[in-house]
Amino acid sequence: MTQYQDEAPVAGRRSRRAADPVAAKVVEVLIVGAGFAGLGAAIRLRAAGITDVAIVERGSEVGGTWRDNQYPGAACDIPSNLYSFSFAQNPEWTRGYSGSREILEYIRGLARDNDLLPLIRFQHNVEALSFDGGKGLWTVTLSGRDPIIARSVVMAQGPLSNAGLPNMRGIESFKGKMIHSARWDHSYDFTGKRVAVIGTGASAVQIIPELVKIADKVKVFQRTPGWVLPRLDFQSPEWTKALFKKLPFSQTAVREAMYWVHESMALGMIWNTPMTRALELLGNRFREAQVKDAWLRRQLTPDFKIGCKRVLMTNDYYPALQQPNCELISWPIANLSEQGIRSVEGIEHQVDCIVFATGFEVSKNGTPFPVHGLGGRDLNAEWSRGAQAYKSVQVSGYPNLYFTFGPNSGPGHNSALVYMESQIDYIVRSVGQVAGGQLKYVDVRADAQKKYNEGIQKRLAKTNWNSGCKSWYLSDDGFNSTMYPGFATQFARQMASFELRDYRLV
Amino acid sequence: MQLDIDKMLVKIKNSQWALADIDWDAPGRERVTENVEQYAKLKVFMADLMWIEHVGARAFAAMAKKAPNDTLAEIYRYFHAEEQRHANVEMALMKRWGMLEGDHDNPILPEPNINLRLVIDWLDTYSDEMPLEVLGSVIPSLEIALDGALCKFLLDTVQDPVCHAAFEKINDDESRHLGVGFHVLEMMGYGKTYQLAVRTAGTLLNPKLLIGIAAYLPLLNRMRDNLVKLGLKEERLYEAMNKYKKIGGRTEQGRRNPWFQIISRQSAMVVDRKSLYHVPVDALVRLTDYYPRRWLKATPTWVKGLTWKTAA
Repeated sequence: MTQYQDEAPVAGRRSRRAADPVAAKVVEVLIVGAGFAGLGAAIRLRAAGITDVAIVERGSEVGGTWRDNQYPGAACDIPSNLYSFSFAQNPEWTRGYSGSREILEYIRGLARDNDLLPLIRFQHNVEALSFDGGKGLWTVTLSGRDPIIARSVVMAQGPLSNAGLPNMRGIESFKGKMIHSARWDHSYDFTGKRVAVIGTGASAVQIIPELVKIADKVKVFQRTPGWVLPRLDFQSPEWTKALFKKLPFSQTAVREAMYWVHESMALGMIWNTPMTRALELLGNRFREAQVKDAWLRRQLTPDFKIGCKRVLMTNDYYPALQQPNCELISWPIANLSEQGIRSVEGIEHQVDCIVFATGFEVSKNGTPFPVHGLGGRDLNAEWSRGAQAYKSVQVSGYPNLYFTFGPNSGPGHNSALVYMESQIDYIVRSVGQVAGGQLKYVDVRADAQKKYNEGIQKRLAKTNWNSGCKSWYLSDDGFNSTMYPGFATQFARQMASFELRDYRLV
Repeated sequence: MQLDIDKMLVKIKNSQWALADIDWDAPGRERVTENVEQYAKLKVFMADLMWIEHVGARAFAAMAKKAPNDTLAEIYRYFHAEEQRHANVEMALMKRWGMLEGDHDNPILPEPNINLRLVIDWLDTYSDEMPLEVLGSVIPSLEIALDGALCKFLLDTVQDPVCHAAFEKINDDESRHLGVGFHVLEMMGYGKTYQLAVRTAGTLLNPKLLIGIAAYLPLLNRMRDNLVKLGLKEERLYEAMNKYKKIGGRTEQGRRNPWFQIISRQSAMVVDRKSLYHVPVDALVRLTDYYPRRWLKATPTWVKGLTWKTAA
């Protein structure tokens, strides 16, 4: 998307630094990432009158996760009316659960309609952040570019933005094509190919039905089967679109209704309650209805509580697995070889292409780049035993630095954007304290952060996420720094109050 | 036997091999046996061996569901697949020796005998519900019989170098299975005596287990008869069972596992021809010959996963 680059004010090259006033200027708020969170933060900051905002984006287009995840079948597993900003509702959603292209189009629309494109500096990859306590300013180091000085920094780089091929034995020896679900190669033609899909998580269950339609053979390598629930997807009728356009409050009402339906799911998904059993019963009945063979059903039966890992919402995954050209392989993988995948039962599964639907490197233990706060303290080191923050958005010792999707802000049952909006509004309020230069910085008190996290971890201990299964929610030693143990409503209430006593104002 | 199961899992992952690692076209296939009569018996033995490995695999799948921790569950998932690999290797050997019926490139899976079918039926229906101590105590006894008697006997009988190369790999796997097997057998001996006793009594009263025992005992006797017909010295089985008793009973915890006590006593009776144990069990073997096939469940699809092919 080169037109964005052309429109964006790009910081000067190193050779022109002295002559370039932009490089020396202090930006009031610098946002890292031009996905949902970054653009949402920019919109709300400007609405609050904070207009000196810049966004640095390592890619060349807006969209974040939804720009990167364009694999066949990619869609959101939360209804679109809820998976969108409440302040930017879209009456045009074509489906109940929209595909990634439509969501990306919505994000592009956000940038376009709110005139955000001039704020975005594309192909600016942040290498490090460093805070100068004396001046109360952040220095943002960029790859191959001059640094940017900012009073406040909003980390909106996304928790699921780093995708890489997994470290599997023999991966270097495979001579065929390898594709990661989050880095889809649209030029590769799967027609008539023998394909292996490694992984059976949220991306895989969307990719597999699409591949089965075109590939000659699809072998699905499963390590742990997940809970699958039916997805009530439908094509939006024209009359609802017209209604939402004419009477926006009707769409708000639908959104509210969806919100409360999802909130009620927390009762079964987050905590172990009779509703957990009811949801598991639904999952079991759905599997029995969709999978005829008893052994295949056994292979697909999860051995952990529903909600412990991400629940998979799909109607066409099980039917796809039972197509004659598809095979589920639940043997462990021994290694990759020149021609395919060798599983432990001793057979080499020869394929033309391997699709890695193996997920992302979620930042549970550390930061995506070095972040140095007051006195040079290193956030990566502080988070090495599990990330912690105050109300998920700020970390003591790192003043004027804000996180979206920071530690313990992940939902398991409701729209991530609902949580994100609460965080953004909190950030806007906090940024407002230092904007204009009255204060040098606001820093969370260490004891307030400690108290907050003790409460969070105590509550997490009673959740299904911490009930024994391994998931990307937990670090290798079982620490949960990703999920928020409560309702979205509770989270929103927590973010709605700004406790000045929990801060040091300098 | 104290075993670091985390290290064991790493070792298992580092010791993987595939059917393709064996040169199935290497010379020596004619050295299977020159004796026509022996060949026919060997064919039955190989089919039985393959099926035993395969039902053992299914037992490991059930144990993975009951494992007390993630590492042991993962180990059992590997063992499930490794036993399947052994069955695949044995099918590939049968293919090499011309023992498979049907088309050369698309041979038919040998038919399991009625006792194996009954055990397959039971495993398919009830094994996932069995407590770990039952299968966890039986499996080492079967493994030791396989490793100590059957495989050694096969290697003494057959001179084909491919068979020897394949079983060298299988035996390596089996030694790890035995290591974990005895570790778990001892693990099951922890706890207060009365608790162990009450739990065992409770399990023994479970009709589902009783059906399993009724299917398993005649299978053992039929296997023993087939082996003896083939020329296996009964002392070999006796030695193997003694080994189970010796290793399983070398720690106090092992001895305190009631299932170890039950199985070692039952094994001693199996290998003792004079034991009265054989009267009802041999009668059961004969009875099962008349078991109506229509009463059997449809063959589960996990059985159809066996293959002699190195690549798919």
